[in-house]
Amino acid sequence: MLQAENILFTIALIGYFIMTIMNFAFVIMKKEKLAGTAMILQTGILVLHTAVLVLRGLSARRWPMTNQYEFAVSFAWALCLVSLIFIRKYRFPVLGAFASPLILLIIGYASMQSREVRELMPSLRSSWLAFHVSTAIIGYGAFGVAFVLALIFLFRSRIKEDGFWGQHIPQPEKLDMISYRSVSLGMLFLTLTILTGAIWAEQAWGSYWSWDPKETWSLVTWIIYAVYLHLRLRRGWKGKAAAWFAVIGFVCVIFTYIGVNTFLPGIHSYA
Amino acid sequence: MPFAIALLVLLAAACAFSSTVTQGQSYEYYNAQYGERTAGLILALRLDDAFHSWWFIGLSAALCLNLLCCNLIRLPLLLKRSRAFANPESFISSGSGVTEACGSEPEKLLKALGMPDAKEMKTADGRRILFSVRNRPGLWGAWVCHLGILLLILGFALGQMTGKQFTVYGLPGQTKPLGDTGLLVTVNDFQAEVREDGSAEQFTAYLIAEDPAADTRESASVSVNAPASMYGYKFFQNSYGWGADIRITKDGQPLQTEAVCAGDFLAVKDKPELVIYFQAFYPDYVLIEGSGPSSQSMLPKNPAYLYRVYYQNQLLGMNALQGNEELTIDEYTVVFENPRYYTLLAVKRDHFTWLVLIGGIITLAGLVLAFYLCPTAVCAVEEKNGIWRVRAKSSKGGVLFRETFEKAAEESGFSMKGENEFASG
Ligand code: HEM
Repeated sequence: MLQAENILFTIALIGYFIMTIMNFAFVIMKKEKLAGTAMILQTGILVLHTAVLVLRGLSARRWPMTNQYEFAVSFAWALCLVSLIFIRKYRFPVLGAFASPLILLIIGYASMQSREVRELMPSLRSSWLAFHVSTAIIGYGAFGVAFVLALIFLFRSRIKEDGFWGQHIPQPEKLDMISYRSVSLGMLFLTLTILTGAIWAEQAWGSYWSWDPKETWSLVTWIIYAVYLHLRLRRGWKGKAAAWFAVIGFVCVIFTYIGVNTFLPGIHSYA
Repeated sequence: MPFAIALLVLLAAACAFSSTVTQGQSYEYYNAQYGERTAGLILALRLDDAFHSWWFIGLSAALCLNLLCCNLIRLPLLLKRSRAFANPESFISSGSGVTEACGSEPEKLLKALGMPDAKEMKTADGRRILFSVRNRPGLWGAWVCHLGILLLILGFALGQMTGKQFTVYGLPGQTKPLGDTGLLVTVNDFQAEVREDGSAEQFTAYLIAEDPAADTRESASVSVNAPASMYGYKFFQNSYGWGADIRITKDGQPLQTEAVCAGDFLAVKDKPELVIYFQAFYPDYVLIEGSGPSSQSMLPKNPAYLYRVYYQNQLLGMNALQGNEELTIDEYTVVFENPRYYTLLAVKRDHFTWLVLIGGIITLAGLVLAFYLCPTAVCAVEEKNGIWRVRAKSSKGGVLFRETFEKAAEESGFSMKGENEFASG
């Protein structure tokens, strides 16, 4: 089963690479057809990617999201899923062009991690933990899309209205709404992540909140996105400032995910 | 609200900055890490316990006060807005934030918008009105969310102020006091289920709590992720460590045998100035050159005990004893034996955890209301010439709602009217 998982993973990795090239070709050659093909490819890879996770879960006999490799694979999966939903829902192929390098980066990071299936330490064997990490990956995926949208928003202000970009990137007002949609999805799931994490920590360690660096950084991320939500409500601020907060928010997400384990000590360090 | 935003940014910055300073250490630690001046600054600003410092609590309190005031001020406004939202009169009179189209079959447009259940009414001058409202509770999303946050912080603060928390550790057979509660906790047994590869699957402690004053006792078993309650305290299997029996003989005669956890001290019975410190235990001992002693696995295949001996607080010596090796200090002989796990329990009483949970759930509900219930109202008024003027208002749908409306209007044979301003939030 592990071998099958490895083969599928490699195919998915190559698939993401081709998808990224195709998306680049779409924006460089300005051929819409390429974007359509990239989207179909993305749907296909998503199926493969899902199979990788299912196989992993079956061979480990648990939820496949508990070490750096598994979490990175899941994160890329969520990003692929959420971006695909947004591309289709808002007919927005340029989003794919901006999102695919990010997915490729995360899946590339996953490919560098150890794929060994390890048994879990007792405190990690909890259904709350399964909820905790699955909500986290959806939240992270949504914030990833919000980050890409914020970049597009900031990029848009530098381009001419009438050219290729002007045609393919929605008006700022609409872009802001779409970004808001992805931040709200992320915020909802981040709140769920923090809540389920607190319930789990209470059961496992007897303390639902202990200001562990990972907890603290998830709170920082949560507050940054709350600032984004409030900034949006203020007329004069709408747009650029909020977009910058979506960027800072995602930097916090990545720091919470990788940086905290690397730079700061805490009980989450095994994750 | 600008003040609220500033407070939120400050709070995030405070949390982020504090997480870079290791919490709960002594001056010596910070001095060694950062130097004298920074260490002094860390202690003066209470950065060593940042999340309980006056400035952090002050900042959180200011945020709560702001939230409370904001919610109190907004309550009557929201009630008014909520009522107005469902009132066609106010709809007709207000022009801003409204999208408008004209056509002949309003039912069709309402259906296309997914709002077919319209109420039929009449204007003062007798014209027909079709009015439909959807997702009105969505107006309350932010308010409910703020209420949830307030309850959550309140529950957390009350828990911190009134709750009690202890750590107790013990080897099977040991009895320890539970902080200042007067209760005693005995570890009857402590079992580790170990997998084939030597890693742990589960730990279970069998405990007895006793109230000597009332002469009562309660018992429970506690596993990782499965806490239990005794005497109103919740017991959690938090961690574990190694311990062993230290057997001391004097001139060949048994003197004392005591169970000691690694990290603990044992004073010799008839010479309390002589103290043995059980520094660390290595179940599967190896000495790696350059990096010192370590353990190859969790199984006690080659046990070694790292100790120090003090006499009148002066270090006499330190070393590692392997297996049944003996340590001789004058007439005393010391042996470490029977290594086994001790359990480390977190014990706590917090009467407000439920409030935190309720606060969390309300916050979540508020977010769902705010994000996913988009309050929308549509009002179709029949003009004199038989043409229907359909006006729609969406509190948060913004440009996306306008697009939906335009599409629905087009499908239903309506033409859009004028350049209106659109609401977005
Ligand atoms: C811990 C922090 C906070 C969080 C997570 C939070 C969350 C939210 C959310 C989710 C919304 C709704 C946004 C939307 O519908 O797009 C909102 C709106 C709002 N918040 Fe906060 N908030 C917080 C603190 C505050 C504070 C301290 C104030 C104090 C003034 C405040 C004032 C407002 C106002 C006035 C609105 C607009 C409500 C409306 O338009 O109906 N918030 N907040």
